[in-house]
Amino acid sequence: MTPIGWQEKWTLRYAVVGVLFLALSGFEGILMRTQELAPTALHGMEVALNTIRPVAQEPTTAELFYSMLTAHPIVGIYGFAYMCVMGAFYFLVPFLLQKEIRHKSLVPINFFLHIIGVMTCWGASFFGLFNSLYTLYWPLPVSYDRVPLIGSIAFTLGAALIMINILLFSYNLFSTVLSKSNPRSYSFWQFLRAAFGIPRLLKLFGKEDKSAVNLDYNGLPVFIVAIGRGSIDTVINAIVLLSAGALILIYGVAALAKAPLNPSAVDALIYKNWFWWGLDMVADGNVLMYTAGVLYLLIPLLVGRRLFGESVVKTVILVDLLVSLGVWSHHLLGDRVQPLVMRILSGQFVTWGEFFTMGLTTFTALMTIWLARPVKFSPPLKFLLGAIFGFIMGGSAGLIQANVGLNLVFHNTQWVVALHAHTFLLTGLGMLLFAVVYALLPMLTKLEWRSQRLVDVHFWFWIVGSVGMAYTMGRAGAVGMLRRTLYEGTMYQPYLTVALIGALVMAIGLLAFLVNLLATLGWANTLSLVIPDKWLKPRLGQAKS
Amino acid sequence: MERSERLWLGLLIVVALVFNVVTLSPLVPWQQWMLWGNPLPSQRIPVEFQNYQIKLPPQGIQVKAGEFVEFVATSKDVTYGLGVFRQDGSMVCQMQVVPGYENKLLWKFDTPGTYDVRSTEYSGPRHSEMFVANAIRVSR
Repeated sequence: MTPIGWQEKWTLRYAVVGVLFLALSGFEGILMRTQELAPTALHGMEVALNTIRPVAQEPTTAELFYSMLTAHPIVGIYGFAYMCVMGAFYFLVPFLLQKEIRHKSLVPINFFLHIIGVMTCWGASFFGLFNSLYTLYWPLPVSYDRVPLIGSIAFTLGAALIMINILLFSYNLFSTVLSKSNPRSYSFWQFLRAAFGIPRLLKLFGKEDKSAVNLDYNGLPVFIVAIGRGSIDTVINAIVLLSAGALILIYGVAALAKAPLNPSAVDALIYKNWFWWGLDMVADGNVLMYTAGVLYLLIPLLVGRRLFGESVVKTVILVDLLVSLGVWSHHLLGDRVQPLVMRILSGQFVTWGEFFTMGLTTFTALMTIWLARPVKFSPPLKFLLGAIFGFIMGGSAGLIQANVGLNLVFHNTQWVVALHAHTFLLTGLGMLLFAVVYALLPMLTKLEWRSQRLVDVHFWFWIVGSVGMAYTMGRAGAVGMLRRTLYEGTMYQPYLTVALIGALVMAIGLLAFLVNLLATLGWANTLSLVIPDKWLKPRLGQAKS
Repeated sequence: MERSERLWLGLLIVVALVFNVVTLSPLVPWQQWMLWGNPLPSQRIPVEFQNYQIKLPPQGIQVKAGEFVEFVATSKDVTYGLGVFRQDGSMVCQMQVVPGYENKLLWKFDTPGTYDVRSTEYSGPRHSEMFVANAIRVSR
């Protein structure tokens, strides 16, 4: 058994649970694909599961499908992505700043609260049949003739727990960066002003920002700059979603008390704007900044060369933050009642800001690798290149649909969810997080990855499966197949068949990764992640004797 | 900023300009009337959404190819979507139907034929049932 430090062990726990959430989310995806391909194929499983569901009537296949569709992204994004990000940041931030996490007790609290929150949302959908989807368009989540009341309340409570936990995590990150133990300590407002680039803006106009005297934001490691700016979006996202959740909860509690409130008291369009503004802080906000930060951190480490154009990338991250605050209308391009000026400016033009920031980020990353030739294509570097490919492909699809003209035939089709969202999340973000795990594991445990062959199996199966699945469903979207719709009939069966094969190929890749992870860690280290050391050591001692 | 970065940024600017100019221009057929003109529709077609039902005009929807029509969709409960589809399943046009608003979409059908209508936004577990076959007939 390898001695693993306290923080390192917690980071491993976050990563392992995150990957298990990915497996759960993927399993749900495969079930939904199967259900679309052959609606009666899962009937036996449905009957068995219905016996343990606390619902009065036997649910329909459609209810089960849409409930799973509601749970799927929560598990994938807040379960997998956030869990891995939290684990990685809890190790990397103190490592790079050379000081400890400010509130160490929050590390395990965040871990367990997040699991409880995600599993509550999952349970509210899987068992409670809450089916409003993650979009929660008003007034669907409070339309109790369509969504179950108890499921709605449970889902909202789970989501609130996740958001509160994310706020605690962000507080701990900010607190660590700002803590007095740092030789460059500064106040929260100084940090925030610097994060939005106010001192630099004032300098541009020949003025000095006197409140920024102690803060050399540009002197911070670029990864910390990305986390600082990205976490502003993380906080906004959590606050907005909390407010939407509170609203739904108030209606739910009132309905439970037999005093239902009038849903039309809330304007559906204003709610939609508010909700998407907050929700987009993830998809078009922190993901991009955290991704840029990871690329800027890992690539120089992996190729042994200083980051190309380092002074530019900090500005790029600042622009990313500003862009993320104004892009949400691209989710409302199908809403003819959204003012045209909003659709064109916020929905289309501001969204193109991401083309420049991601374009420059990609250029910086690739130039750094190019100038460092010859480079060794280590596992994390391979996955980083795969991730860059995924971001280019998913980002290009996103720019096509975030267009006032083209959105008319792409909105709510499989194009959006497959070619854009899933490529972005699975090929882009997924491979990026795998790269982080491949890079961090040897740093955390002093162990080398056991099998290079399994790394290659993971890489090729994952990229071929995810791109194949997304491309096929994107094609289905281009010929009219809608997202969030359970079709009857066989019209899209060829697309669904290829997509299911793609999903299974990805699953083989993930399995190869899990086997390699287990083989690298060994049983003793793996068990030490879930069993307290004081219990484990005597048993291991007995086993050895 | 290094020279290669400036060149790359220049290329990004060119791509962004070309893509946005082309897609906002009348080269995209419906931009002719959605952005660059304000033609009067020959008829307004009310479409009501409520309780998973798409209520079309009782006499059906008869349209002449080349004429402008305006769909005026309302919802009395949740958000739906009004989507017009060709017989091969490909989409012609769509809009979100937000409750509490008159949602309007101006359209010109070029090709005679029969078109289906489907709700394009999830509205609850019976959403998939919201399909009206042969809802629009476009004649010469």
